[in-house]
Amino acid sequence: MLETINLSKTYNGVPALHPLNLKIEPGEIFCLLGANGAGKTTTINLFLNFIDPTSGSAKIGGLDVVSNPLESKRLLAYIPEQVMLYKNLSGLENLEYFTSLAGGKHNTGELRGFLAEAGLAATDSDKRVGEYSKGMRQKVGIAIAIAKKARALLLDEPTSGLDPKAANEFSALLRKLSGSGAAILMATHDLFRAKETGTRVGIMKHGSLVASYLTSSLGHAELENIYLEHMHD
Amino acid sequence: MILRIARKEMTEMFRDGRFRVSGAILFTLLAGALLLGWQNYKEVRAQHDVAQKSTRDQWLHQGRKNPHSAAHYGVYAFKPKSPLSLVDQGTDPYTGIAVWLEAHKQNEFRYRPAQDATAVQRFGELTGATVLQLLVPLLIVLLTFNAFAGERELGTLRQLLSLGVRQTDLAAGKALGVAGALALLLIPAAVFGAAAMTGASGYDAMTSAIPRTAWLALSYLLYFGAFLGISLTVSALVKSSRAALTVLLGFWMFNGLIAPRAASDIARAVRPTPSAFEFGHKLEMALASGADGADPTDGRVARLKADLLLKYNVDKVEALPVNFNGIRLQDGENHGNIVFDKAYAALWETFSQQDAVHRALGMIAPGLTVRSLSMGFAGSDFPHHAHFAIVAENYRRMIQRTLNEDMILNAGNTSPYLADDSLWNKVPPFLYTAPATSWVVARQTPALGIMAGWFVIAMLAAAWSSRRLKAL
Repeated sequence: MLETINLSKTYNGVPALHPLNLKIEPGEIFCLLGANGAGKTTTINLFLNFIDPTSGSAKIGGLDVVSNPLESKRLLAYIPEQVMLYKNLSGLENLEYFTSLAGGKHNTGELRGFLAEAGLAATDSDKRVGEYSKGMRQKVGIAIAIAKKARALLLDEPTSGLDPKAANEFSALLRKLSGSGAAILMATHDLFRAKETGTRVGIMKHGSLVASYLTSSLGHAELENIYLEHMHD
Repeated sequence: MILRIARKEMTEMFRDGRFRVSGAILFTLLAGALLLGWQNYKEVRAQHDVAQKSTRDQWLHQGRKNPHSAAHYGVYAFKPKSPLSLVDQGTDPYTGIAVWLEAHKQNEFRYRPAQDATAVQRFGELTGATVLQLLVPLLIVLLTFNAFAGERELGTLRQLLSLGVRQTDLAAGKALGVAGALALLLIPAAVFGAAAMTGASGYDAMTSAIPRTAWLALSYLLYFGAFLGISLTVSALVKSSRAALTVLLGFWMFNGLIAPRAASDIARAVRPTPSAFEFGHKLEMALASGADGADPTDGRVARLKADLLLKYNVDKVEALPVNFNGIRLQDGENHGNIVFDKAYAALWETFSQQDAVHRALGMIAPGLTVRSLSMGFAGSDFPHHAHFAIVAENYRRMIQRTLNEDMILNAGNTSPYLADDSLWNKVPPFLYTAPATSWVVARQTPALGIMAGWFVIAMLAAAWSSRRLKAL
């Protein structure tokens, strides 16, 4: 579902992403680990077609994101570190707006259902987003993904700044989405969350994917050691 | 999708104190300006009707007197106000509304045309036009400066573009949203203005003003559209909403405050007008010496006398079968008419050239163009004033001709001659019909072209810049 073929990005001759070959199948959660500047966000931005690749291609559902920018985006949902919404609209109105722009048509009952599924309390749906915590905004982001029936999810540090309970709830939602067949790519610094949530983890360093493991094959401590070893090089 | 974006933009605007406060202020000012315009129009119209009737009564009941005394007694011609002047008073406050029609002279209006040349471009009091030309664009700037720059800063642009929303749809939706919000302010104001116009000028005058009103509305819609396009373009191109606001406020100040004054100065520098004193002095000199600088009055009168004596084969004026004074006076009028026609044609040609300079400068400041269109369709620009002045002058000439011809035929040359009310009644009342809408459209075609050009280019620029929108 999510695939890169020799995908690379260079800024003024400085490589931000070395040729990357990656394939994330439906139902899989691939967590990209790495220090700041390792190339995680660059990879996500290339999938989103927010930046042009220097070489290679990124594909979503087999569609090249550069030659099919609109079509490929219809298949995905994007949840950044902070899901930014319109503060003068309620969570429900934001959800309705974003899903309608994505081509979805849902009645209010369905939209409330998506928000409930994402874990947002019914009493909060009609509050203006200006009053929302980060966790609540992230839940609206998840609700957008649910409403869109996204087949691919791109997440960039989505649990950063969330309290443990909220982060745990978020992870549970991701597992639920992957269980329904979505391919998920999540960039994160959080080793614990990556191990708990992901089906695979990849370690990026200086723009290269240097290692990739099945999370089921590693313990928390083992993952941490491997990660730190790569960071020390 | 575009409608959905527009609806969301409007919802956000109405929930944002920014729009509520600025919209309420603008609506109050616009309604207030229209109310003031309505009051002014009503008062001036009432005064006009009373004064025109009064001057006519005085003319008809001036009693027995020599026709030339009546010619000096004269009448006033009052320029009627256009119903749409309640929106835009244009040059009316500076060109005057009445002219004294008497023998020998094409009087200037209360404010001399030579002075009026600069006043044409001067800002006046708060009027509907001021609000529409200055404050509505300011509101457009305030509503759109962060249309894209703000979304980029807030991070919602990433969210939107990740959904696969076309940037041009986003731009169109935002433009439609702002247009919808403005419509909610301006449509009630327009209805209020139409009601005020009907109340002040009557249903017939209102309905006959519909074509001009439609052109006026089109002019302002193009102007607002141009401002909207420019604002969206800047918001899409610059990095921050603060920079967008700075650039747009700079343009707004240039367009509305600096350009009109600069344009007046440039127009005067390129096509200078004589001072009132200079103009008057030149007229006096021409009247005394002849339109071409030769042919002094004394010589002309002597020749006229000689020609008449020869024509009627008599040796003295007293033997003429026609009144010599009447012939001399009409000859003086004919001579004066040539002088006045030449002098005013030159002066008005200068004004026309200054207008052309203004029009050309409208290519860098749309506010100059919309001012010209607004005054033109409101019937309060200088060409309308000149149109009235020509009709009034022709009426003056007709009066002089009627009175002089009566003297020529009836006064004789031996005893004093007094005419009565029957002569005064031969002079029809002064009636003035404003030029047709087609006359205005023909004159304003270049300005309409420039305004349409601004609109099209601004919209294309908005579409082009929105296509370049990047999430990062």
